[in-house]
Amino acid sequence: MPKKEIIAMLLAGGQGSRLGALTKKIAKPAVSFGGKYRIIDFSLSNCVNSEIDTVGVLTQYKPLLLNSYIGIGTAWDLDSAFGGVHILPPFVREDGGTWYKGTANAVYQNIDFINYYDPDYVLIISGDHIYQMDYRLMLDFHKKNNADLTISVIEVPWHEASRFGIMTCAADGRIVKFSEKPPKPDSNLASMGIYIFNWPVLRQALVEDELNPSSEHDFGKNVIPMLLNQGKSLYAYRFQGYWKDVGTVESYYEANMELLREQPELDLFDGPRVFSNSDVLAPHYLGSQAKVVNSLVSNGCIIYGEVVNSILAPGVFVGEKAVIHDSIILPNAAVGKETRLFRAIVMEGVQVVPGCLVKPDLPGKIALIHDSFSPQAAAYHEALA
Amino acid sequence: MSRVIGLITSTCPAGEMMELTAGRPVGTIPFGGRYRLLDFPLSNMVNSGLRTVGIVTPLRYRSVLDHLRAGKEWRLDRKRGGLFILPGYGQEEKGSRFSLKDLTLNADFFIKDQAEHVIMSCSNLVININFAEIIEFHLTARADVTLIYQVSPDVNQKGEAALFLQVDEDNRISNITAGPEPEHKLFLDMLVIKKRFLWELLQYRQSAPEVDLLDLVRERLSGAQVFGFPFTGYVGRVYSVKSYFQCSMDLLQPNIRQELFMGSNRIHTKIADNPPTRYGTKAQVINSLVASGCKIEGRVENSIIFRNVYVSPGAEIKNSILMQKSWIGKNAYLENTILDKFVRIRDRQRLKGSEDSPVVIAKAAAPGLMGGELA
Repeated sequence: MPKKEIIAMLLAGGQGSRLGALTKKIAKPAVSFGGKYRIIDFSLSNCVNSEIDTVGVLTQYKPLLLNSYIGIGTAWDLDSAFGGVHILPPFVREDGGTWYKGTANAVYQNIDFINYYDPDYVLIISGDHIYQMDYRLMLDFHKKNNADLTISVIEVPWHEASRFGIMTCAADGRIVKFSEKPPKPDSNLASMGIYIFNWPVLRQALVEDELNPSSEHDFGKNVIPMLLNQGKSLYAYRFQGYWKDVGTVESYYEANMELLREQPELDLFDGPRVFSNSDVLAPHYLGSQAKVVNSLVSNGCIIYGEVVNSILAPGVFVGEKAVIHDSIILPNAAVGKETRLFRAIVMEGVQVVPGCLVKPDLPGKIALIHDSFSPQAAAYHEALA
Repeated sequence: MSRVIGLITSTCPAGEMMELTAGRPVGTIPFGGRYRLLDFPLSNMVNSGLRTVGIVTPLRYRSVLDHLRAGKEWRLDRKRGGLFILPGYGQEEKGSRFSLKDLTLNADFFIKDQAEHVIMSCSNLVININFAEIIEFHLTARADVTLIYQVSPDVNQKGEAALFLQVDEDNRISNITAGPEPEHKLFLDMLVIKKRFLWELLQYRQSAPEVDLLDLVRERLSGAQVFGFPFTGYVGRVYSVKSYFQCSMDLLQPNIRQELFMGSNRIHTKIADNPPTRYGTKAQVINSLVASGCKIEGRVENSIIFRNVYVSPGAEIKNSILMQKSWIGKNAYLENTILDKFVRIRDRQRLKGSEDSPVVIAKAAAPGLMGGELA
């Protein structure tokens, strides 16, 4: 039976509830980002660009769009005969079954899947982070240190450190202490939720954690501290580069808008390719009165109006004399004639009728439009806390 | 649809198209920002339910294979049937549609399949057509051959090496001519033919391989069951640089774009995984079709911009077609031009053609090393 050196388990089961309407109907990793992408494209592309050809995607919350989007993984070259992408929802056994109770429990329930490939190493990643990383470098670091577990960390600004799981390390990268959201952090190295385990170590830890009734079965809260207390060899791999966890509507909006900077930190035009499962649509069309400035426009868009400092996903329609500023229009949405949008996010498929004005009701907020509606030339907005 | 297979030829009835076909067959001429001409007949066949399609490739077939590969994007990467890349005799065959030489060479492709009928198409037509209706007509009429024609030909679209059909009231073809007669209809270089009848024709003229299939059909008009079928939609015939330019500019009209790309039958093509196009702070783009992965910082008007094109600040592009990865320097000026892939236009360079005679810059050229303005 052939075996794999490393396989990836991609956690895509969460709702991302702080994204509000954006994740009301779909899981967070399926949310559109940067025009033509969906958030999970980044993790999947990282796997394939790192030559990891076997990825188990753990789904749970409203996986319909995510599952059909991933399909058999063709878009990311993950449609291979041995390996490839596998969608892993919770399932029933002889003794019944449970929903995934936490990130660790989700992997625990799929021990058989991992055993099938009998890997030396297991990479645990999340499907809702935006970043580009070659996991092979992290694996090299893990091997060099003979670690049981390597955690990828990133430097965060000190004043934000108390929001994260913080690793305190020795000079050689060995983790000596782990503090979850410490009020007075002694390090600014935050865990990215990216782990490489030796498979036997992981397997044992999962079994032990499962037996612990007071555990929340979460990697960060339970498994990592347990391994640290057991004296296992944990190392911190310092990642340098762009990494975003777009957990709130604000951070989602900001991360998208950052792509429009003169020199965006995440340069989609440079670096390893991000693959996605896009429909084949015609090139976009700009009409004779169109004005498109400092924006990203995807295939299939038809633009007759004004688009400034905005991002248009595939298949978006912008009517005549419409004005769109500082906004994000998600796939197949339409903005009617003469409608004006400012700092708005228009969700997938929404038809914004002609002649209305949409802006946030308070400065600094974002107007999130998630239903087709029909006010007549009235200001309609929904601000979010 | 197991009764019908498809065959697409890469030769063009009008022969070469100068710079556009230097180094590539007609079928792989880039078109419409992200397509190649081949995508149209191939997608039409697949959308009509065909699952076995052969493409006769000329000698310079690298670009064909590079584009099609296993045919996955057209749903032809499959066990039953699929995409067949077939050998051909190449671009020496000027002015041929379905050369007997190529058909005889690939007799196995026809014999081996169970299908009873073959749809044949050239690869120089920009068209979105569903063959289902035509096949049904062909079967009901028990036709040997059904020739597809255009209902109201635009005088300008006739072009070189066009064939015209005399169609009777019951849709039978009574004559095929090279010159346009009044009331004759333009043949659209697509036909449905009963395999047994095709086989008969191939046997009969095996010794005269310079002949085209249409010549044989013409000879047999009185004896065989040859019918015509009208097509009323948009037809873009590409047979010269000028017609290529005109068909490209047709895409700027919403109704033509709608018919070709936004109906229920889509044109499939190779996927590129590019980022969305970035418009800069000084971008001014109107009435243009723009593909993915571009960075536009200048002015673009009435143009077709392919993937990964860079337009520098101050550059002005009018009535032009810029193919993949061309690079336009600062303050350059292009009007009525066609740039092939990878062309690099220097800062302040000016190129101006005319609508009738656009300037064509060959692939990977950096024109102007010999001097400034080409009128």
